[in-house]
Amino acid sequence: MDQRLVPLLPLVTKPARYTNHEVNAQHKEWSEDRVKMALAFPDIYDVGMGHLGFKILYAIINGRSDALAERVYAPWVDMQKLMEERGIPLTSLESGRDLASFDLVGFTLQHELSYTNILKMLDLAGIPRRTSARDEGDPLVLAGGPCAFNVEPLADFLDFVVLGEGEEVIHEILDLVKEKKQQGISRKEILRELARVPGVYVPSFYQPIYAGGTFQRIEPLYPDLPAQIDKRVAPDLGALPFPEEFVVPFAEVVHDRTMVEILRGCTRGCRFCQAGMIYRPVRERDPELLKEQVAKIVASTGYDEISLSSLSSGDYTQIRSLVKDLIDAYQGCGVSVSLPSLRLDSFAVELAQDIQKARKTGLTFAPEAGTQRLRDVINKNVSDQDLKEVVQAAFQAGWHRIKLYFMIGLPTETEEDLDGIADLAHKVLSWGREFRTSRKRPEVTVSVSSFVPKPHTPFQWVGQDSLELLTSKQNYLMERLRHPGIQFSLHQVEHSFLEAVFSRGDRRLGAALERAVDLGCQFDSWGDQLRFDLWLQAFKDTGIDAVHYAQRDIDPAEALPWSHLSPGVDAEFLLREWNLARQGVPTADCRWDLCSRCGVCFNYPVANRLVEASRGE
Amino acid sequence: MSKTMRFQFRKGPEVRFLSHLDLVRAMERAVRRAGLPMAYSEGFSPRPIMSYSFALPVGVLSEAEYADFRLTEELEPAEFMELFNRHLPPGFRVLQAAHLPQGAPSLMSGINAALWKLHLPVAAREEIQERWRRLQAEDSFVVERQTKKGTRQVDLLPLVYGLPAVLETGDAVEVHCLAALGSEANLRVEELALLLGFNPAEALVTRMGQFKKEGSHYRPPLGNRGFTWTES
Ligand code: SF4
Repeated sequence: MDQRLVPLLPLVTKPARYTNHEVNAQHKEWSEDRVKMALAFPDIYDVGMGHLGFKILYAIINGRSDALAERVYAPWVDMQKLMEERGIPLTSLESGRDLASFDLVGFTLQHELSYTNILKMLDLAGIPRRTSARDEGDPLVLAGGPCAFNVEPLADFLDFVVLGEGEEVIHEILDLVKEKKQQGISRKEILRELARVPGVYVPSFYQPIYAGGTFQRIEPLYPDLPAQIDKRVAPDLGALPFPEEFVVPFAEVVHDRTMVEILRGCTRGCRFCQAGMIYRPVRERDPELLKEQVAKIVASTGYDEISLSSLSSGDYTQIRSLVKDLIDAYQGCGVSVSLPSLRLDSFAVELAQDIQKARKTGLTFAPEAGTQRLRDVINKNVSDQDLKEVVQAAFQAGWHRIKLYFMIGLPTETEEDLDGIADLAHKVLSWGREFRTSRKRPEVTVSVSSFVPKPHTPFQWVGQDSLELLTSKQNYLMERLRHPGIQFSLHQVEHSFLEAVFSRGDRRLGAALERAVDLGCQFDSWGDQLRFDLWLQAFKDTGIDAVHYAQRDIDPAEALPWSHLSPGVDAEFLLREWNLARQGVPTADCRWDLCSRCGVCFNYPVANRLVEASRGE
Repeated sequence: MSKTMRFQFRKGPEVRFLSHLDLVRAMERAVRRAGLPMAYSEGFSPRPIMSYSFALPVGVLSEAEYADFRLTEELEPAEFMELFNRHLPPGFRVLQAAHLPQGAPSLMSGINAALWKLHLPVAAREEIQERWRRLQAEDSFVVERQTKKGTRQVDLLPLVYGLPAVLETGDAVEVHCLAALGSEANLRVEELALLLGFNPAEALVTRMGQFKKEGSHYRPPLGNRGFTWTES
């Protein structure tokens, strides 16, 4: 770590965030010939340390003898203030070097509310915010992650962007940067080369064209560049490297446990869900390989929990046997197994019963909508009957606490759908009274978020409800759910609004983002840090009509600012899905049913790959 | 032979800013990495059975932290030290270990005093000594203490047993202080700072020892037979 921070540590909250020496941290020698990359997480250590993607990249990069990776996180506001007062720049955790001294600084784009932190971290590091202001001595600033699929609001600040899976393309990037560095080639030329790497997008080489304030199209500045940038996707996860040593933090952080990715992608096809579109197709990891990985990570970390992660872990073909094998192997030494994303429709109560730990925490279901009609619109293929059966089974098996996730403001929503949410919560409570075997009183927690239209989803054209309308819907539900045994939790509507603005944003939003940072916005996803007033001022100062971005319905004939950033799912499919949504017609999961021709398996040499199928090969 | 291993360990500068909870978590993980034959608690989430001496404040170093680990197999202390040290994070080090005899007092009940070493980069030796002489002449030194139950008046003087050494080391002063530690009587590090008039943020504090004080005799929970000391 940076020794200049040591005197500050007694003065800040959770100082262990800033110290290094964690077990398995890599302190590689800072030699001239190595390509140095900082993995920059645009939030605090406590949040960023749980991010699996960075663990994977950290292992891959440090696994190369000609490269090194170090971590950097956003300092919390108390530490930031002290650093700014004393003129201490942002440094990496391992060697404590200035961020500006790395060859590459890579940010992950997990959600839109982290964008201000990216700019703030560049400021703290003394790296010019804008690509155009950086010169030969500055690092190349890149980003990847889900929000890369509409990175336009950040286009002015990122030298290049990676679309899709990073495990393979990172090697191509490092090779290229290493070679060019040795040749002493200019940054512009390195970027010219990078722009030819499949999956790499160099925003400054693309020019958006507007007419009358509306986005028309985006054009490459050089004829050799593709008009559309395709994501990277690997056909077989088994061929991808997976870290066997996780850095073990001292401080308390989220997801501090052994994590293995059991499958990637989800084809259930929920029409609001971006992850379900951009990570297609489904690829499962071999269970034997997973068990090996778990054994190695447990041995190298000493973690007491194994988490089987994915977008929908209950869908993994051999989930029952995998969970059972892991429990048998680790129960004796106090290591538990957890499934972070179980879905109602794939959920087997027996499966959760296997995992004793779940008993304490309660079970989570995500019906998302309150009526069958609306669930058909969003393609959440769960029936009232399914819900009833599974909730009853859960109460019978001894659970007493059920958490339900819903979304308000979904396309075509009416008052009936809101009532449906309330009714469902009450029904679950009454099923609890009827079927519980636990001595504890049944409890239902209803968590309500607001619909955010996301690029590359069938709902990308749909405007978000106004803040007033969302608030009144929240209030309505709050009234209807005021009942002993029911708890109600809400997402701040301001968060959802900003998410919608930036998720459907174009390059012009960069100015507003920059202004917001100047005004003091950062840590926007933190309820107590969000300064919505300053955000509104930033939009006003830069002449951005934020409401227009978030709330208007877009005509499907209109050009979209993100259409050149392709996750492999065709626009025709999305439109087809949007039309089916309006008719309330569900689409089946292509894993177990017909291919719905989303396009991904036609655009790439990939296919759904389930473990049983791959065994038969 | 008993299956509880008592050991003394160091908390060095690398891990100085860990809270007690962080420390316990780090120990649990090291135990698992080392594959120590630990006894686990019953219940839904079994935890290794271990207990610690009084929690060290964040930012304070120690040469004398103590822990008891309940094991399921007999293990030679030397073997335990070798194995565990190999898997402890940098900054932690087991300094000595021994089997705990059946019926020996727990760490909590076997400790009531601490020896602190304060490294004060700004203070002058004479000032500290003078201040301490003046304090000894006083009847009391009452401060407000924040506790979970509210604020309380505490007289700090009876909690300090003495300053066995005040040394000059280069441009700093090193003060060694024996004081009450534990649930019955306890002197906090920041109270010691108030008493001796230094800024706790600037001092490097090390816990050098933990003892059972009986009269003027101080006996550590492990190893040598201790020492006798009375403030003149
Ligand atoms: S192309 Fe067909 S099989 Fe492949 S992910 Fe899309 S819908 Fe599924």
